[in-house]
Amino acid sequence: MTARILLIDDETAFLEILAERMKARAMQVATASSAQEGLEKIAAGNFDVVVLDLRMPEVDGLQTLQTLKEKYPALEVILLTGHATVKESVAAIGLGALDILEKPADLDALTEKIQIAQAKKMLIVEQRAQARVKEIVVGKGW
Amino acid sequence: MGGAMSEHADHLGTQGLQFFGKVSASISHELKNVLAVLNENAGLMEDLSFAAERGKAIAPEQLQRISGNFSRQIRRADAILKVMNRFAHSVDHSRARIDLTELTTLVATLAGRLAAMRNITLDVIPPAEDITWETNPFLLENLIWLSLEKVMACSEGGGAVRFRLAKEAGEVVLSITAPIQLPADLVTNLPAGQVQLLSALAARLVLGPTGSELEIRLGCRESPAVGEEATGGEGKKG
Repeated sequence: MTARILLIDDETAFLEILAERMKARAMQVATASSAQEGLEKIAAGNFDVVVLDLRMPEVDGLQTLQTLKEKYPALEVILLTGHATVKESVAAIGLGALDILEKPADLDALTEKIQIAQAKKMLIVEQRAQARVKEIVVGKGW
Repeated sequence: MGGAMSEHADHLGTQGLQFFGKVSASISHELKNVLAVLNENAGLMEDLSFAAERGKAIAPEQLQRISGNFSRQIRRADAILKVMNRFAHSVDHSRARIDLTELTTLVATLAGRLAAMRNITLDVIPPAEDITWETNPFLLENLIWLSLEKVMACSEGGGAVRFRLAKEAGEVVLSITAPIQLPADLVTNLPAGQVQLLSALAARLVLGPTGSELEIRLGCRESPAVGEEATGGEGKKG
């Protein structure tokens, strides 16, 4: 199964080419040039992984990350940023980011992180399904 | 006396370094973005050549688009570095006659990215006639930057912040107009470093008549050399 990926970055020249390269690798990619647009797309669509810029106008990446993890705990978020301080990196991991990559990043490295994110998400979904099945079995006394 | 002078220099030095650090961090972040775009375009060329090796034709428009992207980002990086270079050279002389519109525009350009992060646009409205002033260029840039930070911190909803320069009764007034009313305590209880900066520049910080302008009033005489005491700001030393 191909991961559905949303790229959120205010640097549209970067976003456009990265999305094009990922699509050429048969990835399902959508883009958003602001945190607000990203949140709207996530609410309307069904994404597995978000690649998020840490520094954006209006709402910054850490705030967006917090909102995303609160609303969609199973969604995996990879931060992609120009610079991240140690404090920001610790905060991001604490908020549930899968990893932080520094720009300019190698697409193969990003792809690898996306694959890890997808595997992690699938594991969580599987664990939840198993827990639900167990709940039903116990509930019915089977 | 010597101790007070040294403390004075320490405050100005620390504040100046913080200013330099913030500007450098912002510029390096912008350059990282440029590199990221160049990196993706280089990657796209590599992808195309890889496909071409396997017999897929490359459309000339694709190459033109990539080369256009490279040129745009190179121009962008060049503009960023020019501004950075001008800023770096502002510490060359502790006293120089400067064009205030040019200096204000430089600070506005340096702060452009940080303003955009808050959804704020910065406009410098030039005066009818050029206004020049003999001062310490770096300290004045620092004062404008700190004043702009104050105005932006109050402008939470974003909007346009405008710089206007004028001569009034022997003073030069640089107004920084916010899209909202500014709090009256914006010009009181200033940190020691800012009070000393105002003193070193023989400047005052006041609120303008409508309450939405923060005014830097450059004294009735041009600023003294650093270390020479002048009239202070409206804040208190703390």
